[in-house]
Amino acid sequence: MDVKVKLHGVTFTYEGDIVALRDLNLSARRGEFVVVLGANGAGKSTLCYLLSGIIPHIYGGRRTGEVQVAGRDPWDEPIHVTAQRCGVLLQDPEVQLFMPTVRAEVAFGPANLQVPREEIERRVAEALALVRLEGLEDRNPRDLSGGQKQRAALAAVLAMHPQVLVLDEPTSQLDPLGRWEVVQALHRLKATRDITIIMTTHETDEVMDLADQVWVLEEGRCILAGTPEEVFTQPERLEAAGVKPPTLAHVWIHVARKSGASIHRDGQRLRDLDVDQVARQAAALLRQGRIMPRPLPDSTRSPSPARPAVIEVQDLVYRYPGYPPVTALKGINLTIREGEFVGIIGQNGSGKSTLVKCIVGLLRPTAGHVRVLGEDVRRLSVGQLARRVGLVLQNPDYQLFTISAREEILFGLRNLGIPREEAEIRIQEALRWVGLETEAETFPFRLSFGDRRKLTVAAILAMDPQILILDEPTTAQDHRGRYQLAELARRFREEKGRTVIMITHDMELVARYAERVIVMWDGQILMDGTPEEVFSQTELLHRSFLRPPIAHEIARQLASFGIPRRVLTTQDLLTVLGGLP
Amino acid sequence: MNVPFRYIQRRTIVHRLHPFTKMIYVLLTLLLILIPLYDIRHLPVLLPWLGLSAALWAAARIEVGRFAALMKILAGTFIFLMLAQGFTYRYGKTVLIRFGELHFGGSNVGELTLEGVQLGFMLSVRILTAASSLPLLVMTTSNAELMAAMNQLRLPKVMTFMFVSALSFTSLIFEMWNNIMDAQKLRAFDIDRMNLITRLRRAYVPIITPLILLLFRKANDFQIALETKGFGSPGRPTEMETLRMKPVDFLAIGIFLIIFVLCNVLRFRL
Repeated sequence: MDVKVKLHGVTFTYEGDIVALRDLNLSARRGEFVVVLGANGAGKSTLCYLLSGIIPHIYGGRRTGEVQVAGRDPWDEPIHVTAQRCGVLLQDPEVQLFMPTVRAEVAFGPANLQVPREEIERRVAEALALVRLEGLEDRNPRDLSGGQKQRAALAAVLAMHPQVLVLDEPTSQLDPLGRWEVVQALHRLKATRDITIIMTTHETDEVMDLADQVWVLEEGRCILAGTPEEVFTQPERLEAAGVKPPTLAHVWIHVARKSGASIHRDGQRLRDLDVDQVARQAAALLRQGRIMPRPLPDSTRSPSPARPAVIEVQDLVYRYPGYPPVTALKGINLTIREGEFVGIIGQNGSGKSTLVKCIVGLLRPTAGHVRVLGEDVRRLSVGQLARRVGLVLQNPDYQLFTISAREEILFGLRNLGIPREEAEIRIQEALRWVGLETEAETFPFRLSFGDRRKLTVAAILAMDPQILILDEPTTAQDHRGRYQLAELARRFREEKGRTVIMITHDMELVARYAERVIVMWDGQILMDGTPEEVFSQTELLHRSFLRPPIAHEIARQLASFGIPRRVLTTQDLLTVLGGLP
Repeated sequence: MNVPFRYIQRRTIVHRLHPFTKMIYVLLTLLLILIPLYDIRHLPVLLPWLGLSAALWAAARIEVGRFAALMKILAGTFIFLMLAQGFTYRYGKTVLIRFGELHFGGSNVGELTLEGVQLGFMLSVRILTAASSLPLLVMTTSNAELMAAMNQLRLPKVMTFMFVSALSFTSLIFEMWNNIMDAQKLRAFDIDRMNLITRLRRAYVPIITPLILLLFRKANDFQIALETKGFGSPGRPTEMETLRMKPVDFLAIGIFLIIFVLCNVLRFRL
């Protein structure tokens, strides 16, 4: 098999002397699927840019060493020439779609390369079939769902017939259904064995069975490279590099090590593990007495006793005006009490964000009532509601505009009319709360994405709301930073006794923090209960294209061995399966 | 908020017209409003053309709500024009409201005059005439058709794509603007409750600054997406849409010309 990607002694330094990649020596052969892992800032995106010619043609810097992509060095040729051999798919599908129909979008690349029209039509049909978008040729790409948009963008790259495909976190901005759709398309693409795929991601669970090779980067160096079996059997090293070990492999290895069994599978590959196989292995070892179930420490997330309601939603209907209008909420009834930690889950379009926007007053209900701390939101402006409810949006860059972190927090306080002396005290406290006390005078855009999100939390907390709402607190965060905002919310709730609501697609996050889970589907509440109650309703969850955390699925299969059903997270499972005879 | 004037995929007679035909309609509209029409007696000059536009909107099956959105956008401008002209038109004689004597630039800006209001009204009607034609072109012609038509005109590839990508970017800007407004409102920034002067004084910095910063970032991503799709390659791209003028296009152009001539005749008869 011929080598399609080769890096030999590659070091890359951005302008400003920021070293992003250090002495990389890696290669991938034709038809191989390479998964690149690493914390934010490890150099994953730089590697993608280097392979696809975006560096040096769009982003500048200095490179040493040798790079070969399908036999040529992208450094030495125009980007449109590299594009004929190496396609690239970015994180955000919105910026990759510019044509009015899916057909025109997919045809755009080969048309620019002056491929004959009949050939383009053939390629368009072939690419759309591969990503399963047949029948949507005449739709406007902007009207598609997130997963469909990313698949359309993928088809547009595939239609250029690249030999190497570079995917830079292609599922990071999608909901679980969208992620599943894209991963399925990648499975079909891999099955063609024709194209070399280099994919960066944080989602190790969804790519474990796709990978032929895994490269792990840390501060620009490749610290691990090999088959999934070689890399994923080192969970401690992965954790140290800020990478989440795949849950199934992690549990398998943990159980095997505890019991003294072999971590290798007879004639089978670690990457092909599924929930049933891991549960069977753990069951066999439990049955043989080679491991013993350990008790799970009492949950600190006991449900709040009946306290006053802080949010009451009655028969809420919301209809988006348009051609035709879309009913996003269809008669929601809900009460959230003081001190609760609530997770709201559901696919994009299920109504989660619309519900929250009605609570904070950004949208006015079409019918029904929303009361916050006893007052009807219709009687209050968004600004007045902001004193009571703080909503932290996904993208911090929609709100940051001042010259320092301090000024950023002051903006909200000034709008509330807080006196200068009190505002200063609140600013210091909020910065200390989120751990940014040394960054008070830093220009917000010089902070990392994670710190910018923390700053937006600080700006909201300084306004001292009774209720804190986090919208997708794990978006674009790596394994280390994933739970930082949720941790802040947990402290906010525990130390101040306030209410927290999280909107998320991250089941592990919900399992870890929420004491109550609300599942939304098609503008309605499908389920409302404790995480244990909700995650045990697998049929209903499947209906809404959700899946319980893997650890909970394994634990349920081991219930007859004394593994408690309230095991929800990987950490819980590793703890209860950690006992020795 | 949705972008009110974006391409609406339908199969009406207006959608099926060649983009050149619709461009000729826009061009004739622009020529018509260049005719100096200041007197209220000249209003009938524009009425046939406005009637043609209304007929085209109806034939394209574009919802009344979208026209209402257009009027909502323009209403403030119309009121401003009528008041500004009403108070400043130096040849105004019929006083409607008198606030006092305040002479400035040869006119008494303390009086609202009928002639001034009429002048503002005529300017508003001319703006309405223009504003009702361009959205019709955009709403009934896909970007692919526009690109194909511009390619047929042998316009430079970069110019064609700049035009089409500007249209695409509009919806992105709308979306970002709304998200930024929401983000700032959540920090008790009650822009909806501010009066016009306060808004102009302090409201737009927290909105426009993040918008500009985000646009820079999006434009960069947009450039990457474009160039990695071979956009910079030399030579003309393969044409995927073949556009041909049909009899209905010639008929439509004929009707446009007749109405255009009628408007001009009216101009000299009135």
